[in-house]
Amino acid sequence: MTKVKQQRMDSGLIPASATAEASSPVAALSSGHLRAALIGNPNTGKTTLFNALSGLRQRVGNYPGVTVETKKGQMCCSGQTFELIDLPGTYSLSPRSPDEMVAVDVILGRQQGEARPDVVISIVDASNLERNLYLTTQALELGVPVVVALNMIDVAAAQGIRIDAERLSRQLGVPVVAIQANKKKGLEALREAICRAASGEQSVSTPRLQSTGTCQRPAHRPPLFPEAFERAVQQLHQELGTDVPEYLVRRLVLDVGGWTEQRLVDQLGEGVRRKVQEVRERLAQAGCPVPAIEARVRYGWIREVTAGCIQRPAQRAVTWTDRIDRVLTHKVWGTLIFLVLMFLVFQAIFTWARPVMKGISDAKDALADLLRGPLPPGPLTSLLLDGVLEGVGAVVIFLPQILILFAFIAVLEDCGYMARAAFLMDKLMARCGLSGKSFIPLLSSIACAVPGILATRVIENRRDRLATILVAPLMSCSARLPVYILLIGAFLTGPGFAWWLPGLVMFALYAIGLVLAPLMALLLKRTLLRGETPVFVLEMPLYKIPSLRLVLRRMFDSGWAFLRRAGTLILASMIVVWALLYFPRGGGPEQLPYDVRLAAMQKELDDLKEQEQAGGINPSVLEDKEHQIHALMAEWKRQSYLGRMGKAIEPAVRPLGWDWKIGMAALASFPAREVVIGTLGIIYSAGKQDSDEIREAVNVADTPLARRLKEARWDDDPTRPVFTIPTALSLMVFFALCCQCASTLAVIRRETHSWRWPLFTFTYMTMLAYIGALTVYQIGRFLAG
Amino acid sequence: MNLDILLPLELLRPGEWADVAEVTGEASWVGRLAELGLRSGSRLRLLQAGWPCLLQVGGCRLSLRSEQGTQILVRPVAC
Repeated sequence: MTKVKQQRMDSGLIPASATAEASSPVAALSSGHLRAALIGNPNTGKTTLFNALSGLRQRVGNYPGVTVETKKGQMCCSGQTFELIDLPGTYSLSPRSPDEMVAVDVILGRQQGEARPDVVISIVDASNLERNLYLTTQALELGVPVVVALNMIDVAAAQGIRIDAERLSRQLGVPVVAIQANKKKGLEALREAICRAASGEQSVSTPRLQSTGTCQRPAHRPPLFPEAFERAVQQLHQELGTDVPEYLVRRLVLDVGGWTEQRLVDQLGEGVRRKVQEVRERLAQAGCPVPAIEARVRYGWIREVTAGCIQRPAQRAVTWTDRIDRVLTHKVWGTLIFLVLMFLVFQAIFTWARPVMKGISDAKDALADLLRGPLPPGPLTSLLLDGVLEGVGAVVIFLPQILILFAFIAVLEDCGYMARAAFLMDKLMARCGLSGKSFIPLLSSIACAVPGILATRVIENRRDRLATILVAPLMSCSARLPVYILLIGAFLTGPGFAWWLPGLVMFALYAIGLVLAPLMALLLKRTLLRGETPVFVLEMPLYKIPSLRLVLRRMFDSGWAFLRRAGTLILASMIVVWALLYFPRGGGPEQLPYDVRLAAMQKELDDLKEQEQAGGINPSVLEDKEHQIHALMAEWKRQSYLGRMGKAIEPAVRPLGWDWKIGMAALASFPAREVVIGTLGIIYSAGKQDSDEIREAVNVADTPLARRLKEARWDDDPTRPVFTIPTALSLMVFFALCCQCASTLAVIRRETHSWRWPLFTFTYMTMLAYIGALTVYQIGRFLAG
Repeated sequence: MNLDILLPLELLRPGEWADVAEVTGEASWVGRLAELGLRSGSRLRLLQAGWPCLLQVGGCRLSLRSEQGTQILVRPVAC
């Protein structure tokens, strides 16, 4: 093993940092692990194999600047421990984006902090062997021993395809092990082959490297590119310097406009582009046109090495997948089934999650009540109860929806249906510059943008994925519902209003998102995310029964990722807003701070309640006390920093028909839209309001908050009510369009690995919301005369 | 039917078999299609016409939506 590494170091193909780690026996011993990387086309059972080999202990990791995730696990085999890296599924090692570069960089040992793998496991689908071997031929050029895992032999056998693995191994020049990853068959043989290959006992040749830094091709080295091509690569390699691995020089020549080209031009200057163009022109003249040459050579070689290894029936058997697809991809029936399925998913996110969410919310309140008794009133108690506990509650409350959505996505994806759904919706989504894969994330965003954004991971195209992420928060999520219900209930129902008006307004508010999101996506694709529209190709995998383990794993991973990475940010923003509402807490030589006075009054109220139950006092005393508490609460919040900020921005929100109190409530609802209900409740002295109370109220107009809102008057003109119909509409439109949701922003930050996109989303949506609210209010006022 | 003619893929009828004669368009996408097995010389069957269309290529099914500037020319075969 050391010998192999020594040779590699000598070849100079590895950058110094990686070389030091890889070649030092001490480093190898201290980490104690050999490393194996797993590559394969999508839908070849790669994840299943990874799970089968590595067991339960897995870590999900991200590399900086890319959106794909790699998983790591450990595999034991004849006393040795391997670190197993699951690289993102790919059809080739011809990187066209940073995401696709990850696999190449990891295998070449160029990924920061990662030693070069000792062996590459290339998993191939036996029922579609030739195409799958394309990736393997590229892996063979990377200078790391390769083991081919021939998966799904049972599926192939069912189609009458038989493969002679032994002969294939001889002709291919690397170990080939037939396996059935889902049934855990053949894994022992695979482990042994991996072990042997990693320790250099490979029976077949790996490229022999010479100390000059150039590669002498052994007779076996696959696949054979024409002599002219190899010469051109060698020459270019020398010109560029030997610290660029040879594989990347080949990619530079072969991938027109690929990521290798972009990266090397960035590193070495524009001269590279000119040089490569010259090389390509020369090659074209020599009968090796780029990029056609690559497919020709590789498939030609694949045909040679598979000769005599594959037995196929003369007539391709009609498979179950064919039969099912006749219905599921049918323009009418397929679409109908898809819509019904989506309705069920959607309904499940709404209804199944509701009781759990309510349970979480109740548990949080119960815990707060339990703690509020023994703890003395003061900043620390408030931080713990109103800041941290509320914040944790606000994070955990999303979990049921995320888990349910991901259970569905995992099942649909694992059984092979997701690709059909994308196929059916593609035409529609293409109109707004996206592809069919964006449909499910956008639809799920109607329930909640957070799981919706997480679901965009199925979109490989970077620009499409980003566009989908950026417009997903425009879909009207369930957190907007309480705001709509409250304002519609308070101002647009009752005598004098048509019975159909509330429904119509609600529909219009949802339609705003449904119409604007695709338009915005189109705009983004034409401006910021402009780029050539990729040819949309999507493989329809064979149908199979989803694996429960994979589904559970996927749910667990997505839930955990959300809690750990987005949760902290949500919590932080909740605490900031808490502090802005809490301080200054008043008090001085003569008077106690607000919270202490409130706590005392609350205790008095509780005592009064007990007396009332005993029948000792007049209920009006009780009401008076409640009013006093609400008034004091309102006074405290009005003079808080956030209250002052509300007053400061009043000139800006006045054109929307808002007074400073609404402005302040909008500011306070930055962490989560539904907070606006609670803040409006406090600021309008109606006591603390829960958005669930509004949602569940039989007659919203009768809730204390709705009554208070109707009574509200402008500070400078006590005869004029604040909440007119235009103001209510303006507030609703604002909340329909704004991105007052720290969770969404935190998830965007997590998924794009950059602050730029959450900032962009917040800015554009707030601008859109402001313009929308302004337009609605001004037109409304004009019409109302 | 004259089997020697070249047709754009869109003109193939559902259920018909054809050999790919030429894939033209931006180099990187010609490359990507080749990785998926769709390249000159490969045999395909049009399962569903339209935009996107559904193809059987080798052992797999592909859904394909080609944009302007990308063209797949095929030669229908009796099969």
